[in-house]
Amino acid sequence: MSDQNQVRQRQIGYTESEIPIQEEFDDRKKEAIFKKRESNPDVVSRIILAVLTLLSFVTRFYSIEYPAQVVYVAIFISFNWSTSFDEVHFGKFASYYLKRMYFFDVHPPLAKMMFAGMGYLLGYDGHFEFDNIGDDYISNNIPYVGLRALPATLGALFVPLMYMIMIESGYPIITAIFAAALVLFDNALICQTQLILLDSMLIFFMLCTFYSYVRFYKLRLREFSNEWWIWLVTSGVSLGLTISVKMVGLFTVMTIGVAVLIDLWNLLDIKRGLTMTQFRKHFAARAIGLIVVPISVYLFFFYIHFIILNTSGPGDAFMSPAFQETLRGNVMNLQSFEIRYNDTITLKHKDTSVFLHSHVEHYPLRYEDGRISSQGQQVTGYPHEDDNNQWRIKPAENFFNTSRPENDTIKHGDFILLEHIKTNSHLLTHDVASPLMPTNQEFTTFPADDKSRYNETVFQVYIHDGDSNTVWKTKSSFVRIIHYDTKVALWTHDAALPEWGFKQQEVNGNKNNIEKSNFWFANEIIGKNVTEPSEQKEPRKIPFLLKYFELQRLMISHNSGLTKPHPYSSGPINWPFLIRGISFWTNNDDREQIYLLGNPFNWWLTVASMAVLVGVLLADVISRRRGIKPISDPVRNRLYNSGCFFFLAWLFHYIPFYLMGRSLFLHHYLPALVCSYMVASVVFNFMFINSVNYPISISGAGAVVDYISFIVAITIICISFGVYLYLSPLTYGTPGLDPSGIYNRRWLDTWDLHFQPKKGEI
Amino acid sequence: MPYDPIILITQDNVRIRIYGNGGNMVITHTSTLQTQNEGYEPVDLDENGKTQKPRLPSTKLQEIRAFYTEYYDIIHPLFFIFLSFWTRFYLISLSDIVLWDEAHFGKFASHYIKQEFYFDVHPPLGKMLIALAALLAGYDGTFDFTSGTKYPENVNYTFMRMFLASFGAWMVPLAYFTAIELDFSQHAVILVTLMVLLDTAYLCISRFILLDSMLLFFTFTTVFCMVKFHNQRYESFSIDWWLWLIMTGVSIGCVSSIKWVGLFTTALVGLYTIEDLWDKFGDLSIPKSIYLKHWIARIICLIILPILIYMLSFSIHFSILINSGPGDAQMSSLFQAGLIGNDFAENPLELAYGSKVTIKNMGYGGGLLHSHVQTYPGGSEQQQVTCYHHKDSNNEWIIEKQREAQTNDNETEVEFVVHKDTIRLLHVNTGRNLHSHQVAAPVTKSQWEVSGYGNDTLGDINDYWVIEVIDDLYTKTDHIRSLTTRIRFRHKLLGCYLRAANAILPQWGFKQIEVSCDKYNNPGDSFTHWNIERHWNDKLPNGGISNYKSKFLHDFWHLNVAMYTTNNALVPDPDKEDILASTPRQWPIVEVGLRMCSWADDVVKFYLLGNPVVWWSGTASLIIFTFALLYYLIRRQRKYKDFAPAQWSHFLYVGKVCGIGWLLHYLPFCIMGRVTYLHHYFPALYFSILMAAFMLDHFTISCKPITKNIIFGVNYSLIIMVFWYFKDIAFGINYPASELKSRKWLSTWNIVD
Repeated sequence: MSDQNQVRQRQIGYTESEIPIQEEFDDRKKEAIFKKRESNPDVVSRIILAVLTLLSFVTRFYSIEYPAQVVYVAIFISFNWSTSFDEVHFGKFASYYLKRMYFFDVHPPLAKMMFAGMGYLLGYDGHFEFDNIGDDYISNNIPYVGLRALPATLGALFVPLMYMIMIESGYPIITAIFAAALVLFDNALICQTQLILLDSMLIFFMLCTFYSYVRFYKLRLREFSNEWWIWLVTSGVSLGLTISVKMVGLFTVMTIGVAVLIDLWNLLDIKRGLTMTQFRKHFAARAIGLIVVPISVYLFFFYIHFIILNTSGPGDAFMSPAFQETLRGNVMNLQSFEIRYNDTITLKHKDTSVFLHSHVEHYPLRYEDGRISSQGQQVTGYPHEDDNNQWRIKPAENFFNTSRPENDTIKHGDFILLEHIKTNSHLLTHDVASPLMPTNQEFTTFPADDKSRYNETVFQVYIHDGDSNTVWKTKSSFVRIIHYDTKVALWTHDAALPEWGFKQQEVNGNKNNIEKSNFWFANEIIGKNVTEPSEQKEPRKIPFLLKYFELQRLMISHNSGLTKPHPYSSGPINWPFLIRGISFWTNNDDREQIYLLGNPFNWWLTVASMAVLVGVLLADVISRRRGIKPISDPVRNRLYNSGCFFFLAWLFHYIPFYLMGRSLFLHHYLPALVCSYMVASVVFNFMFINSVNYPISISGAGAVVDYISFIVAITIICISFGVYLYLSPLTYGTPGLDPSGIYNRRWLDTWDLHFQPKKGEI
Repeated sequence: MPYDPIILITQDNVRIRIYGNGGNMVITHTSTLQTQNEGYEPVDLDENGKTQKPRLPSTKLQEIRAFYTEYYDIIHPLFFIFLSFWTRFYLISLSDIVLWDEAHFGKFASHYIKQEFYFDVHPPLGKMLIALAALLAGYDGTFDFTSGTKYPENVNYTFMRMFLASFGAWMVPLAYFTAIELDFSQHAVILVTLMVLLDTAYLCISRFILLDSMLLFFTFTTVFCMVKFHNQRYESFSIDWWLWLIMTGVSIGCVSSIKWVGLFTTALVGLYTIEDLWDKFGDLSIPKSIYLKHWIARIICLIILPILIYMLSFSIHFSILINSGPGDAQMSSLFQAGLIGNDFAENPLELAYGSKVTIKNMGYGGGLLHSHVQTYPGGSEQQQVTCYHHKDSNNEWIIEKQREAQTNDNETEVEFVVHKDTIRLLHVNTGRNLHSHQVAAPVTKSQWEVSGYGNDTLGDINDYWVIEVIDDLYTKTDHIRSLTTRIRFRHKLLGCYLRAANAILPQWGFKQIEVSCDKYNNPGDSFTHWNIERHWNDKLPNGGISNYKSKFLHDFWHLNVAMYTTNNALVPDPDKEDILASTPRQWPIVEVGLRMCSWADDVVKFYLLGNPVVWWSGTASLIIFTFALLYYLIRRQRKYKDFAPAQWSHFLYVGKVCGIGWLLHYLPFCIMGRVTYLHHYFPALYFSILMAAFMLDHFTISCKPITKNIIFGVNYSLIIMVFWYFKDIAFGINYPASELKSRKWLSTWNIVD
């Protein structure tokens, strides 16, 4: 009883943000209180947790084997990518892992590795390419149910996690049930986590992070204890896992980061009585736990990624030549040769894949539009192998350092002449307008033995990302060929010359010589047999971090490049109001479809609750400014510390999408949605219970829960369940719906469901 | 504790901080005598004492000194104003060609003088002032201002440039007085003034026929008025208080009427006002009625007044431009009908079959229904149908009947089109039908594509559209009148509505507006509303001059939306590297300059590049301020007293004005998708200059006078020397650029090849 009294005493004047230092706890007593609490597990709570988990698994695993086609994943993912990504999707990535073939994707590797691991355990060998829409899983012998079970399991665990987060945050059981039920009956979460997609992992790890951070924060009176450290590191690891699934995990990092900063700021307050040394220790602990640990986890998965994917695959082309040389069996590794003076090569334009070509025919004197040419020999771009594509590289005499050997390698910035073998003439450009573009210079050739226009035939080679020691290699070096005299770049574009040029592609001199479309590469050195590897090269080794940074840069630039508009993309403003869904899959025979759509009741409820929260906070701030305190301190502190934390999480998982230029989809809202369910429960608690388990760090007075709150909670849960059930055919894809069924389920005009009844059909 | 306060502030210099200098009293209700005694720097205290009790000067030198000390607050500004005008006007006519954007703004001036309606993305005030300059210069509007051409005899470009340069020149005294109002020390005041005076970028941009000198001038006045208003805060509702509040509002109105960038300055004033009102809200000693009065005063002066000025500038704009001109197509058909030289009045009144028409979208910024022979690269690969603002013959369509109904066509009889008629629209130049089908539109994927298909005889039911009348401005009729009747086109088969909602097609569609067919029937969506703009039908009489009058508010709003839409369409083309454009990241570190004209040896060249000392010190001071603020905040959290309360609030106040001012003028450019240029940074630069002086002042407050003199002296001379070294890039380089090789301090400056 004396303990109890102590606790009571302690509560007076205690606010969660400011702990009066004069009331120091005796360590022994503190331990005793914690022990007491831990040795007294709440049986009711555990039973409820078990029931919720069971229900959750039922909803997530119901009809998981249907439909047995790759379809939905394929349609959904393939349109998500810009053209070069078409046909690529997560099932395919798992196959690549199992075959150890290098691939490129904009997301970090963890989730795909988990799928691959699941496939490996199920004995799947990666033979299936997940190529075509409509490919059948069963006839191709894919353990797709097993693959889907992974996200579904994690998706099912959202519910118990949600429950535990609310309990640990000090809310009464009914509030926790409320939160869990909203997640349990959300159609969008069920639909998204039943498929082979990444979001299930993302949200799971995000919830783990929140859970561990709440546990960690609750232990603040027992700083630096073992448990404190455990939960700190767990938070860090969960954070690391979250960002290893998708870059969206960075929003979780921001949420936790802001919470930690606020926490540290309060610790810094002199009233907390920490010395600077103690404060530094706090700071260092969090820096290690929440910065160093997550980064290590993140890098670790990339490390594994590079170890597994050691053979050449579809992702090669995205990477730099140096990177490609580390992959076994890579073309670049086998066919990249240094080019020397007097070698004969073919030059290919990077963007349009044509060879630099010339032939004996000359430009006509007068073009159709009346402009006049030099009547020199034509230089064009030609897509096919031809003897006329061959050029010999010769040193430019006046610029050539004679101390270099005759057949020295060609380096960045060297001055060269290009001799067309067949016609024995040098490539030349001059201030004459090109056939098709008056703004660009004409390219022609000039007899090799005539030195009168020698300077106009000198070009400089600039290797992309090169310095004066970089050697020009076939295939792997991209070069710009800049004219010494006029500084234009050798350039071609997708425009065909008229009949006199045999409809070949126009080549001209581009005055903007730094454009990316100026790149050419040497395709082969004539005489070296390119198909036969000179020697079996061992893959090169480059440090892990270099590889990582290259990949990370590419991921970011490709991610922001995903701007291709799509029929089902939608703007962030539409998401909370559930204006539109996404059609994942349809089956015309039975009028079945999977349409990603949230539980409208739940979604609109969260919007309303957040509006209430903002209203309450505003009212509180304004009235406090005028010296009125409308909310009692404990409730207010909980609202600010816990409610605002969840609200902040929602903001951070939602607002950044407004700043993104890429195409966005409804499923990007799901992490924010889960956060908004927590906010909704906090608001529910504030409105109908208006007291909390207090204080939460040590066992104290429980919240006063009256029957009204039960009635409200149960009513809301029942409605939510009803709506879920009603819309479930769209979520599970079965059973098919008749036209009136579709019509009745189309609550908003903007839900573009398939098989909508035509006029007069109902 | 391991930390020592970096500044030891005694009670004395705390006072100085609070009461400022130059006799400009901040806290006027305290003793006036005390303020005057302590108002100056410690350096001047003795001499001030002398001026209080003037004695007979004994020598000439002492006489001059005494005169200087007594009148230096007049001598300084006069001296700087002189220098300012001298630098701005010096050699202003050296280059006699149309430079850089003079091509645009000169052209707009011509339009004003010829009173032709034109369209531009910027609000009209600045351009009207340019036109005023042109008018005063006696320009007759005949020159077409082609970039790079020589000004003809009859264009007094020197006067026009001087008119605008005078705006730029007034920036210098404004900076001087703003710094005084911010309670900077006399040293720092001079530093601010010198930095503004000798920044090559400010100098260069002020010397041409551009909007920027005016934009900067009004940005400066806004800041000046705001700090002036702030200093009246203890005498609410006094005459001075009202004066500066109103002046702030006027400045906001002017700056926003020149370029929309002015809205960032407005945001600064807005944030300041919100904070001020919030502080007053917490002050329980203010009676509610007075508090309400504070609100009303600010709403009137800072919201209503600027909006009125902004609208007034448009109203003058409309009243000057009364003739039809190149910008007509951006406006509603009704507005165009009111322009002189427009032949809409010749339109036959009611639409009949066989009429040739142009069809205008009624959404804001809507264009004319257009088609051309080019085809869609994807989708159906049929002929493109777009919306286009330019008037050409590709906008013309003929109203035809359904193919089945055509048999009983009569040569003479006129059959009017009525509500709910099914029609076919035939494109005159290509003979294609307006067509839609179940193919996703190229940009707005959720809607159907609209294309040109078939010809007069070949086609299918997808060519049929039902014409639906919404209403008519003047009458209630089933017939369709040109200009005034609002109509919609419903696709007969698909039931979708013809729509053009300012979605821009990529390069293959020539950046014209996408036309699509909206599956959802949304009667209120003005992007699905169309009207007949031009109407030709030989069988019908001309409509005659009906009294077409459009409402100002509607035109005003319409024009603003059109400006916004066009502005947003100025996105960088990822395939082209624009040599003039630069990214916000490059500005604060002066990574780029901008060539304002061709770089040939025989041309007088101008290179837009900031004075590196000014720019770098500005950027550095922002970083230093951030760290200083963080340092002080942490120390406050540990309850160290570094400042007296008034001193701390002054530190925060100046920090907020400069820091937030800079952020507001800089960050939006980082987020914006549009092309950005170096001169977008200039307003932000001002705040970094103020910050630089403030920081230098802050860290030298406890220095001995001699040390302070040295520190500031070094800064002054650095700025002056670097300016002297770079002055030709702003005054004009009339020698080959290769001679400037040594000035290429960074490899990214393209000052020489």
